[in-house]
Amino acid sequence: METVLSIQGLSKNFGTLRAVNQINLEVKHGQVFGMLGPNGSGKTTTLGMLMGVVNPTSGSFSWFGQPPSNQIRKKIGAVLEHPIFYPYLSGQKNLELMALIKEAPVSNIQKVLEIVELSDRKNDKYKTYSLGMKQRLAIACALLNNPIVLILDEPTNGLDPMGIAEIREIIKRIANDGKTIILASHLLDEVQKVCSHFAVLRKGTLVHSGPVDDVGRGEEHVEVIAFHDDIAVILENFSGSLSVKKEEHQFVMKMKEGFHSQDLNRYLFEKGIVVTHLITQKKSLEKQFLEILAEAEHAALIKN
Amino acid sequence: MLHLLKIDLKKLIDYRTFWIVCGLYFFTLIMGAASGMEFLKWLANIIEGFGEKFNISRIPLYHFPDIWQNLAWAAGLLKLGIAIMVVISITNEFTYRTIRQNVIDGLSREQFLLSKVLTNAVLSGASMIVVFLIALVTGLIYSPEYDFPYGLTGIVFYPAYFLEVFGFLSFALMLGMLIQRSGLTIILLLTSYLIEFIIKQNIDNYLPGLIPFFPLESIMNLVPMPLSRYWFQEIRDYLTFGSLAIALVWTFLFNYFAYLRLKKSDI
Repeated sequence: METVLSIQGLSKNFGTLRAVNQINLEVKHGQVFGMLGPNGSGKTTTLGMLMGVVNPTSGSFSWFGQPPSNQIRKKIGAVLEHPIFYPYLSGQKNLELMALIKEAPVSNIQKVLEIVELSDRKNDKYKTYSLGMKQRLAIACALLNNPIVLILDEPTNGLDPMGIAEIREIIKRIANDGKTIILASHLLDEVQKVCSHFAVLRKGTLVHSGPVDDVGRGEEHVEVIAFHDDIAVILENFSGSLSVKKEEHQFVMKMKEGFHSQDLNRYLFEKGIVVTHLITQKKSLEKQFLEILAEAEHAALIKN
Repeated sequence: MLHLLKIDLKKLIDYRTFWIVCGLYFFTLIMGAASGMEFLKWLANIIEGFGEKFNISRIPLYHFPDIWQNLAWAAGLLKLGIAIMVVISITNEFTYRTIRQNVIDGLSREQFLLSKVLTNAVLSGASMIVVFLIALVTGLIYSPEYDFPYGLTGIVFYPAYFLEVFGFLSFALMLGMLIQRSGLTIILLLTSYLIEFIIKQNIDNYLPGLIPFFPLESIMNLVPMPLSRYWFQEIRDYLTFGSLAIALVWTFLFNYFAYLRLKKSDI
């Protein structure tokens, strides 16, 4: 697969603060790449460097194998932090101006306004827009020049649930078109729902990067509820059980490698027990994320 | 180049403040330049004996070739008006953070600055053309006789006036780029004359030779004050190479400092 973005040892200092520390990263064509990290972990600073507004202290990066330049930026659609437009211009005029800057065909304006469903408000001044509309106009602007790559930084920040759902829908639609998307967020649920790959930043350091699908791997956790007096003992005796924990009214069994919920189901059935509830816990990105951060914290403590 | 100019003009063309400030500026420019005779009459009215000492209708304020330098000098006094527009235009980009978005969208920092500098050149050019036309029209009205090409001496002050406005707008742009806040920048722009005046007064006793090299002084020096010729003082009614060179160097430096600042900062 073609490499879209390659980062080598990128660092940024603000005074004595090291905001981004020696980041190495690759993003391939067609990936929806999530950048995770707590607030202040260096996501926006990293994206700022990639888009030429923050000067790196050291390190380098390349887009499509070429050194960064303003010509390349024209083919990248980016919304960093919050939407930025001229408040006294209408949505339409703002997009006309951006089309001039990006050297995009003017006919695209109508198209992108339709994608984000802003056509009927296009002649109103930007300052009269609601936050959700501003956010959508920013996405329209990012799409203006048929970008090969889309960079979205907290695109659902401050939106109501409906706005969040709308933006997520738009992102999915764009991803289905085969565009590469880099999405920075601290909303893990969001990243898990739309991303194919993700990286985790902590205090400016990259602590993890890999496909989202890997998140579910590892030993399975199965929730069981069954009405039987000896159920605890019977569960303990299951040959595929690593450990059994009682949580309120249910049991959670950690499975040995190679054992799955259907094996447990069969075992219980053979013992004459019919369960009322049997579910494989899906390991969430949230859990994984917290684990990664905890590990990184631990490693940092040992190092010091 | 034209493309960059188009980008910056597009930001201004739908901006009401731009039209108000520019409207006021060109209105004052036109009215101010065209009402010199009225001004003399007013002077004659309030100053006792003024009309007796000087016959105001015999002061060749609007006669060729005097008019060229007279109007270029008077118009130069008003350049602050348009400089305020330049300050608003650049500091807006910082307060709205649109400079950041412009770079993200694919302008290089150099191109961004160049788009502003080109607008400065257009505003300076427009000022020059307006003042030149007023001088031409009022000269044709008031001059008792047209003696060309003698009547055209002093026309060289028009390119000099262009440089005067452009240099000052470059200064305003640089201040805006350094300070990034409109209020503070305008205050500094207003007080910069005062600050330079104080320094000049202090240096006058020791190193008077340095004075023509001061930035604002050098801009003012391009078109020297001509009116004192009417009370029989010697004036410089020609452009000197030295004043031109110093003003050019400062204009270059203003834009270069703005460039350095933009290049280094995170936006």
